This record gives sequence, C-alpha cells and structure tokens, in this order.
Amino acid sequence: MWQIIKNEWRFLSRTKLLLAISLSFVFVLMISLFLGDYQSKKQTETYNVAKNDLRQQWEAIKEMNPHGAAHYGTYAFKPTTLLSSLDEGVNRITGNVLRVEGHVQNEIVYSEASQMQAVSKFGKLRSSLLLQYIVPILLIFLAFSAISSEKQSGRLKLLVLQGAKPSQLILAKTLSVWLFGVGLLALVLGSYSLLNIQNIDSNVFARAFLFFLSYSLYYFIIIGLTVFFSTYWQNTTVALTSILGLWILWTLFLPNILMSSVEKWHPLPSRNEFNTAMKEDRSEGLDGHNPSDKRKKEFQKEVLKKYEVDSISQLPINFDGLVMQADEEYGNKVWDKHFGNLRQVLAQQKQSFQLGGILNPFISLQNTSMGLMASDNLHHQEFLLQVENYRRVFIKTLNDKQTFGGSKTGDWEWKADNDFFKSVPDFDYKPTSLTSVLPNYLLDFFLLFFWTTVVGICLIFGTKKMQII
Amino acid sequence: MNSISIFLYEWKHFIRSPFKILAILFFVLAGIYGLHNGANLYQKQKTEITKIKQKVIEQQEKILAYYNKGEKSPKDRPWIDLTNPFWAIWSLTTYHFKTPSPAIVYSMGQAEQYGFYKSISINSSPYDADMAEEISNPERLQTGTLDFSFVVIFLLPLLLLILLYNIKVGEAEKGFLPLIYVQTGEKNKWLLARVAFYGVLLFMISFALLLYGAMLTRVFESQSKTFFQIGFWILLYLLFWILINYLILLKSKTIVANILQMVGVWLIFAFIIPASVHQWVSIEKPTNLMIDMIDVWRNSQEKILSQPDSVIDQQLYALIPEIQHAEISKDTTRKVMARMYSMNALAQELLKASITAITKENQAKNDLIGSSFWFNPVSFFQNKFNTLSQTHYQDYENYRQGIQTLIDKRIKIMVVDVWKDTKVDKNRYLEYNQIFKK
Repeated sequence: MWQIIKNEWRFLSRTKLLLAISLSFVFVLMISLFLGDYQSKKQTETYNVAKNDLRQQWEAIKEMNPHGAAHYGTYAFKPTTLLSSLDEGVNRITGNVLRVEGHVQNEIVYSEASQMQAVSKFGKLRSSLLLQYIVPILLIFLAFSAISSEKQSGRLKLLVLQGAKPSQLILAKTLSVWLFGVGLLALVLGSYSLLNIQNIDSNVFARAFLFFLSYSLYYFIIIGLTVFFSTYWQNTTVALTSILGLWILWTLFLPNILMSSVEKWHPLPSRNEFNTAMKEDRSEGLDGHNPSDKRKKEFQKEVLKKYEVDSISQLPINFDGLVMQADEEYGNKVWDKHFGNLRQVLAQQKQSFQLGGILNPFISLQNTSMGLMASDNLHHQEFLLQVENYRRVFIKTLNDKQTFGGSKTGDWEWKADNDFFKSVPDFDYKPTSLTSVLPNYLLDFFLLFFWTTVVGICLIFGTKKMQII
Repeated sequence: MNSISIFLYEWKHFIRSPFKILAILFFVLAGIYGLHNGANLYQKQKTEITKIKQKVIEQQEKILAYYNKGEKSPKDRPWIDLTNPFWAIWSLTTYHFKTPSPAIVYSMGQAEQYGFYKSISINSSPYDADMAEEISNPERLQTGTLDFSFVVIFLLPLLLLILLYNIKVGEAEKGFLPLIYVQTGEKNKWLLARVAFYGVLLFMISFALLLYGAMLTRVFESQSKTFFQIGFWILLYLLFWILINYLILLKSKTIVANILQMVGVWLIFAFIIPASVHQWVSIEKPTNLMIDMIDVWRNSQEKILSQPDSVIDQQLYALIPEIQHAEISKDTTRKVMARMYSMNALAQELLKASITAITKENQAKNDLIGSSFWFNPVSFFQNKFNTLSQTHYQDYENYRQGIQTLIDKRIKIMVVDVWKDTKVDKNRYLEYNQIFKK
C-alpha cells in the first residue's frame, strides 16, 4: 500500500497543473495565516490602548462619591485572542464593548459587522475559511482525478492483474490525497506555531492538536466519499457532480437551514419582552408579590434591629449604601434567572445544531473549529459571564465604601479619595481553559469519528464489486 | 438551423436531463424558503413595533392620569415636577422606529445586526446600548440566514454551472460536434443560443420567485419601483455569470476541466475576493472601540461644569438663541436651575462631535470597500440588494441620524420651555407627544 501512496505522490508532483494549483493553495494559505495573525495583533494593540486609557481615567479620579463612581462606571472590552487568527468564529458579529455600571447590566455593543457595509458572507480571509470551504474542493478534484484517470487509462485493470487488491488500491489512493490535505494542515499549524512561539502554552497546544484532528477527520470523510462515488458510478461526470452537489448541500444549505430551524424550535425572547420581564421582576419581586418598596421597608427593619437603633439617622453607617447593595443583589438574582434562561435556550439550540452533524459532518467541523479556537458562542457567553462577575465585585466595592467609608445616610456629597479608586481592581479576562469546555465538543468529535468509520466501511466493502474497466 | 431553432431545441435537451430539472427544483425551493425567511423577519419586526407602540400608549396614559388628577409627581418620586418642562419631557416616552420595507422579503441584508427601535430621551444618543440588535444566537448570525439574495448571489451561479457544464464538450466527447457545426453553420452562435436559453429560463424563474415574494409582503402596494429595480439587478448579475461561463465554454476541452474552471471562478468571486477585501479593510481600519465617544459620554458634564457660569450661559445662548432674552435669563436665582436643566444640550453637542468622527471613520471603511467593487462584484451586488431592501449600512446610518434629530428637537424644546418658564399642563404634554413623534 505504501508503494501505491508513494507512486501517487510522484504522479501528483509530476503533473504540472496539479502542482501549480497546490502551490497556489499553499501560497494563499500562508497569506491568510500571516494576514490573520497581523490583524489579530493590530486589534490587540487597539484593545490594549482602549483598556489602558479607561484604567488611567479611573485611577485619575481625585475624589468622587462612590455611588457617583458607580454611575461613572467603567468598560470591559472583548479581547482578541491569537487563536482567533485561525478561526474568527462569531467575533465579527458580537459586540466588543460592555459598559459596567451600577443598577443595570448592559448589553455588549459595537460589533465589527455594524461598523461597515456587508463585505463577505463567509468572513475574512482566515485559515479556517480556506481550510473549511476551499481546501475540500481541491481535495475533491485530486481524489476524483486519482480514480478516474486510472479508470480511463486502463491502468487500474493492469494493477489488479498484477495482484493488487481493489480495496487496497482504493484505500491507498484515498490516503495519498488525505496525506496531502493533512500536509496542508500541518503547514498552517506549523507556521502558526512559529509565528506565535512565545505565546504557545499547553492550552493552546492542546487546542491546536484537536483542531488538527477534527480537520483531518473531515478531510478523510470528504476524500473517502469522492473516491467512493468515483468508483461506484461508471459515469465520471455524475460522480463529480454528485460529490460537488453534496459539498454545496453540506457547506451552503444545511448549516444555514438548520441554524434557522433550531432558532424556531427553541425560540429566544425579543429584546423588548426580555427587558420588560426583567424590569417587572425587579420592581414587583421575583415571585410577583414582593414589590421593591415593600422589600425596602423590610430591609430597613432588619438593619435597625441589627444595629439596635430606632431610626436611620442613629445608624453608624450610611444606610443608602446598604440599600443600594441590597438592590444590586436582588437585581443580580433577577439577572441570573433571566440570563440563565437565555443561556439555557442557547445551549438547547447548540445541542440541536450539533445533532445536525449526523447528516452533515461539516457542522461538526465548524463547531469544533471555532470552539477550539475559542471564538464560538460558548466562549462569548463565558466572556459576558466574567464581565458580570466583575461588575458585581466592582459595584459591591463602591457600595461598601459608601456604606462603611465614613459617610452618613443622605450625605451624597461625601467623597472617597484617589487611593480608594486606585485600589478598585480592573477587569482582567481569564482565557477559558480547554478542559472546562471540551465536554461541549465531544458530540462533534464523536460524529466526525462516526462519519469517518462509515466512509471507511463504504470504501472497504462498497468498492469490492467495482468495475475496473 | 437558425438561432431561434437552436434556442427552442434546447428545451428538449433540458427536459430530458432529470439532473438539471432536479437542480432547478432545488433552486426554486431554496428561493421560496429564502423569501419566507424574509417575510417572517418583516412580520416579526412589524409585530414588535406594534407591541412597543402599545406599551408607549400605556406609559403615556399613566402620566396623563397625574395631569388629570392635578398631581405633580408619583408619590414615590417627590422630586419630580410634571409641570416643569424638564421633568415633563423626561417622563415622556417616545420611540423612533426603523420600519421594515416590504422589500426586506428579498434581502435581509444587515437588518439583524442593528436594533430597529430606540427609546428617545434627552440623554439618548444614536450609539446607546439599547441600539443593540435583537437577542439572537450569534452563531446563527455568523452562519447567516438563507434569504432570497443569498439564493441569487451564491446559488444562481452554481445552478448556471450545473445547466451549462456539459454544453459543447458533451457533444465533443460523444464525437458529434463536427456534425453539429455542419448543421448550424457558425459554432459560436450555436453556443450562444444554447447558453441564452438557460439565461432566459433562469431569469424567468427568478422573476417568478420575485413575484411570489411580492405577494408575501405586498411589495406592490408601496415598493413597486423597487420590485423592478431588483429584477433589473438580478438580470445584470445573471448576465455577468453567463458571460464568464460562456467564455469558459468557448475555450473548453473536457467536462471535468469545465467544472474545475467554473467552480474555480465561482470560489474566487464568492469567497476569496470578498474575504480578502474584508481582511484588508480590517487591517487598514481596525474595529472602533469608541474610546473617544466613551470619554465624552463620561466626562462631558464635568467638563462643562468646570467652566464659569457666564461661559456656560454664552454657550447656551449661542446654541439656542431664543433663550437669550427669555424671562429667566434676567433672574439670577431661577437661572441656576434653568442652567442645570439645560446641561444636556451642551453635553449633546460634545457627543455629536465625537459621533461625527465615528461616522467619518465608518464612512472611510465603506469607501474602502466601495473602491473594491470593480473587482469584487459579489459584494457590489449584495450591497445593491441591501440598499433596495433598505437593509444596507447607510439605511441604519440614516436611522441613527433620525434618532439624533429627534434628540436635538427634544432638547431644544425642553430648554426653550424651561427658560421661558412654561408651565406644562395636559395640553402641552399632549403637544410634546405630537412634536416628538415626528
């Protein structure tokens, strides 16, 4: 078998057209890699400038009332990771700036897509675009010509007469084209590693390895099917158009249709409905029978009892700060309920979409690709959650200062000094570890392995009775 | 055999090719699906707008009840004074909508990347957080919705490929091409007539789909001109691909080579060129994180207040000359409150200056994209369809400008009424409502 693979490679390297096309692909892949990397680094610079600028402004506050500072707020920017230079995922669609302030959890805004007219339906010239859409087409043509040329020249018959088993021949041809695809992948990831050698840690390495694995499996599926169609159908044109038709169905139709369908199966509320429900829960109480003024009165009683005084003016602390923090905590519960529901619906949508991989391995590839490159919705939600957790610490710090910093109830003119503002921690995004998200992609990997097995079986058993002339 | 006979004879070829008929059926189904997606979005946005309008009426009725009872404020908010123009306008909720065009059925464009309703207050800005798009799955937005423009832009060329790939070379491989040349005379004319048949067929199918879409959202009631414009651009787009494929067929040698070249050209125009332009634009003009606007947002009040009162007054008079000789401008005590209420007018001017910079930067990005259209036809046609269905970036920019106009109007009326010491009653409140709606 190894001999056949070597012969195939020799043939590929001697065919000038194939060699020229392959070299062009390598060139475009390298360009996409360098540009993707350069753009990510440039965007990271913009991010760092913005982050430092905002922090400097915060630390420059000489004196301010802590509650005033909660309204002044701060901003969290969505960082660009180096991994996303390979697959940008949802990053061009989602916003980049999130205002962090008291009383309210804001939405992330200012996406790249909203700042310009439409350009590319399939995203930027990133490696993932070429590896997902273009390289499979090249592999289809290579695999197709590997079989049809042997059939047309009559060499296939000669090889069988010389003692080669048809299934062995087919498998060897499949593997020779597959190794070409894997070679392209290795080249991309190898160059990526060289470009970012200083930033590669075990997490990045593991993600890159699984990225490589998922693409390798997909390439085997697409090449195997092409070879199978080429051997199964006598008419070469029908074989080629069938596999191209399947490619169109898998990459253009099904992901689109399925994603729209899952949003109908698991509907999300409209923004207006969602905000109205949140507002209602906050003012009327989560159970609908505990309005905010009633909650405030009960809270006041509790505080007075705790400090063993009769009126707010006798309190040694600032009651306003306590009320605001209690209101924040209630608001947090409301947020947890509603955003929890939202995340649940999004998770259901994701699961249903992943099951689409039973029909279409391209869906599994897309999921693993952007998931492993930390640019899917799961990682986006993780970012939002980290910002919300930070917001809670940030606001509590300010409310505690208002309460226990030395001011009295009703004294809104009281101000905290610069040292306090400098001591308030800045938002620091912690990249999500692979181990915490990997279980979400196991189904995709399972389906890719499932498809690989099915295609392998088709190749071994389905081509036994092929006509070799 | 003349060209018309060749043209008509192609019908026989076509109906004897089940594979081609299947491809056309598939295209029609995809087109219908896409049109329904557009119609659903149209209906969804209309329903949402109706709901919000109802909510606004309910909120306004609550405020009107205070005027009817002669109360100045809600009991739990004693600091509010509804007879004061500042508080009356503060409590008046109005929305500005980006009403969907019925032509959205053809192209959803960028409609899902922006909000389409915005509550307006004196503190608003066209870049507020509530301008975010509807809650949706980002992965769905990234995959994109299969709308009619997607079917035309990406699938129409593929369908053309399926219909044309074996013309001429099919006959050549079977060995009767010389016979055909003898019968038809001029070979290029024969090829052109056959290609033209499929061009006409596809245009008729696309036009039928356009008509079907028009029925879904009643396009002819208000957008009949748009209907024909979209039809015209589809025709041009089809001609573009027919020309490319005709040239490939003219030089073709084998069916496989034909397919390889046609798919190759399609990949270059549909994927590689738009993606490269997108990458280039992102490098030249990275995503704006709106730092300048954020600075203004947070620091404008402080910056204005740090100036002497006389300077603030001069700035206000320059901005709204009507207040210079108003009664309150002569009363130093009452002037303090009026000045405080008017602070938003000056803050809004600073904010507008920062927004102008953002708009210019976005325009520069769009110019960069526009400069690529001569070699990037897919993006050109996509944006053309988006413009016609009013879902282009520029339509949302116009919507933002509409929001800014309403904010300016609201602030100006509030400041003038505050300085003129107008007492707001039910009638004036209703007048405000009418003015701010426009």
